[in-house]
Amino acid sequence: MAATKLLNFTFPASPEHLCTVRTKLRDTLGSARFPQETIDCIVLAIGEACMNIIQHAYCDGDCGDIVLEIVRQDSCLVFRLTDFARHKSRQEEMQSRPLDEIRPGGLGCHIINEIMDEVELLDCGNRQGNILQMKKELTS
Amino acid sequence: MKHELVNKPDFDVLVLSGDIDLHHSPTLRERILSSLKGGRPLLIDMQEVSYIDSSGIASLVEGFQTAKSSNLHFGLLSISSPTLQVLAITRLDKIFSLYETEDSFIEILEL
Repeated sequence: MAATKLLNFTFPASPEHLCTVRTKLRDTLGSARFPQETIDCIVLAIGEACMNIIQHAYCDGDCGDIVLEIVRQDSCLVFRLTDFARHKSRQEEMQSRPLDEIRPGGLGCHIINEIMDEVELLDCGNRQGNILQMKKELTS
Repeated sequence: MKHELVNKPDFDVLVLSGDIDLHHSPTLRERILSSLKGGRPLLIDMQEVSYIDSSGIASLVEGFQTAKSSNLHFGLLSISSPTLQVLAITRLDKIFSLYETEDSFIEILEL
């Protein structure tokens, strides 16, 4: 089965735009008739990933856009978040922290890793910014 | 996010509704901590919360820890399904005191 692009949406990397991203995601995944529980989980994970970019990639006064792409590939949904920040993210930054430490913060990566089946930072070469790719198997 | 603080005779209830994300969590944090400064137990009514992310959860955790260090009861009331989902993923559903009714929170206060 060929890959089908479901969404290509660019938005400013700022907290007040997270609500619009959720609405876009719900509309796109709802039109594709995915189960509500799956949609809720994906909306949460993508929201956490966007928040990480806003807080940690676009830091120290850096600002810019985020591009959210969704592609359906066989039984898998592929989500790609591209930013253009000066900060280069590292794969280690995407790891969960121990949950037995009860403290505020640091839960976003755990949520993403729990919901998505694959989470990977793609190589951007010399280009400024980062590409975070997440895959969700629809059968899982 | 909408919020309203209701003063009951022996405790406060912070009623929340709508989506709680990074845009709203600083306000939530401020409301929780300023209420706890009054030295009264706090119940957070989550029934009408349609979405909460880890930044909102972080505000709740900070409230929980502040209340604990001040020896105050801190609970979550009528957890909505989106909130329960996030608490379960982060395993915080075993840490927070969850109440189905205001009366069950009052019972704990009277012990």
